[in-house]
Amino acid sequence: MSNIPAIDRNSRWKTIRREVGRAVGALAIALLVTFIVVLLTSKAPLEAITQLLTAPASKPRTIGLWLDDVAKLTITGLAFSLVFQARQFAMGVQGQVYIGALAASYVALSPLGASWAGIPLGITAAMLAGAIYGFLPGIAKAKLGANEIVSSLMLNYIAIEVCNFLVRTSLPKPQPGVLTTNDFPDSAVFPQLIKFDGLNVTRLDLGLVFALIAVLVVWFALYRTSWGLKLRLVGHNARFAEYSGIKATFIMVSAMTASGALGGLLGSMFVQGQGYGKLTVLFEGGLAFEGILVAIVARSRPLAVPIVALFYGYLRQGAQLMNIRTDVPAEVIGVVTAIIILLVSSSFSLNFITRLFKRSPAPAAAPATVGGAAK
Amino acid sequence: MMELLITVFSATFFVTIIRTTTPLLLATLGGLIADLGGALNVALEGMMLIGCLTAVIVSVYAPWYVAVAAGLGAGALLGLIMAFFAFRLKADIILVGFAINILAAGGTVFALAIATGGDKGTSINLQSKAVPAVDLSFLSAIPGIGPVLKSFLSGHSVLSWLAAFLVFAVWYFLYRTPWGLWLRGVGEYPAAPEAAGIPVNKIRTLSLVVSGALAGLGGAQLAMFNYVGFTRDMTAGRGFIALGAVLLGARHPVGALLAALLFGAFEALAVVMPGLFNDIPAELIRMIPFVVTIAALVLFSIRAQRALALRGVK
Repeated sequence: MSNIPAIDRNSRWKTIRREVGRAVGALAIALLVTFIVVLLTSKAPLEAITQLLTAPASKPRTIGLWLDDVAKLTITGLAFSLVFQARQFAMGVQGQVYIGALAASYVALSPLGASWAGIPLGITAAMLAGAIYGFLPGIAKAKLGANEIVSSLMLNYIAIEVCNFLVRTSLPKPQPGVLTTNDFPDSAVFPQLIKFDGLNVTRLDLGLVFALIAVLVVWFALYRTSWGLKLRLVGHNARFAEYSGIKATFIMVSAMTASGALGGLLGSMFVQGQGYGKLTVLFEGGLAFEGILVAIVARSRPLAVPIVALFYGYLRQGAQLMNIRTDVPAEVIGVVTAIIILLVSSSFSLNFITRLFKRSPAPAAAPATVGGAAK
Repeated sequence: MMELLITVFSATFFVTIIRTTTPLLLATLGGLIADLGGALNVALEGMMLIGCLTAVIVSVYAPWYVAVAAGLGAGALLGLIMAFFAFRLKADIILVGFAINILAAGGTVFALAIATGGDKGTSINLQSKAVPAVDLSFLSAIPGIGPVLKSFLSGHSVLSWLAAFLVFAVWYFLYRTPWGLWLRGVGEYPAAPEAAGIPVNKIRTLSLVVSGALAGLGGAQLAMFNYVGFTRDMTAGRGFIALGAVLLGARHPVGALLAALLFGAFEALAVVMPGLFNDIPAELIRMIPFVVTIAALVLFSIRAQRALALRGVK
């Protein structure tokens, strides 16, 4: 009896070691490709690579920027983890971010925003709006069988245009023609966490705390509640879950809604954070989709998400600084992201090259896709 | 309102519809082939985008047909990469697709900055070429209907005619050749063709390669006819709309044509509306194709569910 937990712990360590090994291997290959690309295209390749690898940790200010990115990547990673664990491919986090940010901005720019309620109400409004926006593709799939990938992507584009429209027209702004709103009142902006004279860690605000809380809440919901157990069962085998009496459609919709609430929270963290403190068009800069990478490398495990976000955020910030200080565009990070996703989500392992040349006959093909969702 | 009606029923508007439909139709056909082979190709967007940039950059140095072929080849290569990771390395094909989209979104901007020497927005300082339009002005010599025929049929891109032909070709391939049957069999129930000795993975790989090639061709049309030159994120969701069009078109080539025409018509409407109505905000007009896609998807799903209910399947 007594050795069962020990075995369990052993195999868990083994799994963790294997996953970490795969992630590090993928990262190494992706960085190698990046170095080659930089070597071929840059006039000062060494300078660029040094910036990419060292710049984020060089100054308190850049550390602040890095950790702020980590908080945001953690939330979007969690949002994707939730739907991935239920094996839903809802890609709507970006749309939820914009809709959540809009809701938070309306609260912050209203008289309420100037009172103590600015922060809690703003977050609540953002999470509600995001949840509704996540619920829509969920219910369309559950009731009608409408493909959630397509509908959630369309909702992303719509949310961006709605945000552009409202910022340009009806929301109050400092002068006509500017594509930002008025600055939010101080009571509606997340306070800085650390304020030392001389140690200027701007940007590092309450959002980081929310991110850590969100990690714990999502972990608890997934691994310590019956809802989470059902969700993971649905993700493993929806039909089996249905036979054992679980309402699979309800679980799918609720997973997408909860993920939407996280997306909304991220929206409020953007506009109410120290980084902006106002609503700007296209403020999100593609960060929401990078949650796919975080969730995949973390194998959709909530507790692993912030660790992955820590590493990926570093690279992301490094790429931005490299963009500013050298001639290599920050978008090179897209190449890194794609390679890591490809390698980690596949059965890649460090000896995969040897297996490639063995050319064993492919095992009987199970439907290798979730394309079933499209039928 | 009258101006809108006059515009909509004019020959120029018809030509605009064909122009906006062509990239969508090519991508939709690509999505259809992948979908029938059992793989939802969510990377159409990224394949189109990379097809756009490849075509533009190659067209600076080579004749237009080489550039179009390069766009097609880039898409096909991406399809091959996708197949390699999805089938050989057993990755989830949706995730592979999104990896390609992320690669395209970042990679095209990176490559554009390198090619233009720092411009991250457009390829405006590259002398890229356009796909020629087919001039059928001799049709107006036909007495009576000649001028009308000419105004409707002349001035389309070469690739538009190719796309129209491809609808027929894809239909013929799918329903009149053994390979089409194999492809549909692989998508329907892979174990059966496997047992019959049909190379399932090879067929799947080929279907993704063709799918990517068609998306890349759509990208070439977009960047060498609809617009001449590359703009960051210029596909603007067309690949995803094409994904919706595959489903809306009931996974049939003719359905794909009709669905692409529907979305193309609304996109054309979005093209002409700013000139007619100054008071409708541009953002709302740009939203039209996406709203229509969702509406069409929902309506189609309702219909499909009714059909299932009629057949007594729950």
